[in-house]
Amino acid sequence: MGLIALGAALAIGLATIGPGIGQGIAAAKALEGMARQPEAAGMLRTNMILSFAFMESLSIYGLLIAFLLFSKI
Amino acid sequence: MIETLNSIGISNGMITSTVITVLLVGISIFAGRRLQTVPSGLQNFMEWAIESLFNFFEGIMGSRACRQYFSLIATLFIYILIANYSGLLPGSGHVNGLDAPTGSINCTAAMAIVVFFATQIIGVKEHHGVSYFKHLAQPFVFLLPLMIIEEIVRPVSLTLRLYGNIFGEHTVTSSFFDLVPIGLPVVMQALSVLMGLVQALVFSLLAAIYIKEACPEEEHL
Repeated sequence: MGLIALGAALAIGLATIGPGIGQGIAAAKALEGMARQPEAAGMLRTNMILSFAFMESLSIYGLLIAFLLFSKI
Repeated sequence: MIETLNSIGISNGMITSTVITVLLVGISIFAGRRLQTVPSGLQNFMEWAIESLFNFFEGIMGSRACRQYFSLIATLFIYILIANYSGLLPGSGHVNGLDAPTGSINCTAAMAIVVFFATQIIGVKEHHGVSYFKHLAQPFVFLLPLMIIEEIVRPVSLTLRLYGNIFGEHTVTSSFFDLVPIGLPVVMQALSVLMGLVQALVFSLLAAIYIKEACPEEEHL
């Protein structure tokens, strides 16, 4: 039981690391682009949100696995 | 009455979903009953909302594809937005007959399957025949299994993204409520307002992009 709890915590904990770093890089680059070219801000924002969604779905998979494990306790 | 519905297998999410659908249809019929050339009040608001949605999707899909398939995508967007926000109503998930429909995997899977089949049908229709499926073997023939897997993963990821976000959001809010009952859940709910909008936007945006990819390239005049 303790191992399942540890597994659930690790699943969501590890699953947030990668998307966190990735979203940070993407947001930094998108903001840089917006600051350099304010007229392209609208298009950049749409694409930024879209790429965030793709990255976020990875950590959502981790969250789902964590919930699945959590319901087994 | 709700207990009898629950006992024959109709969940709270389905009841809320039906109520949302009836409300949306009712408001739309009411707003479109006496159309005026110079709109005011409700008609004005609806026109503004639909027009800004149309302009947004036109920038992504191109004007011809957007004009043709806007109704499907806008319906998805408006329905998901209201469904996400129905989870923020007081007592949602605890009161009988009120639960966010998108917090259940069945609802999101149904929408993702609709998008998947709509994409294939639109592709066949736009290419005038089964030549649409040639794109699966596009750069090299030996990529065929990979491309088929990519097509099948699309509805799965659409389903899990929306379901996981909304379900996770509700679970996190309720655990916050168990930890600190005052203050902290409000912060999470404020975040949920943003998240609900972003998830509705992402779902319809991805549907728009899939449909646009199924359409042949527009000729630039």
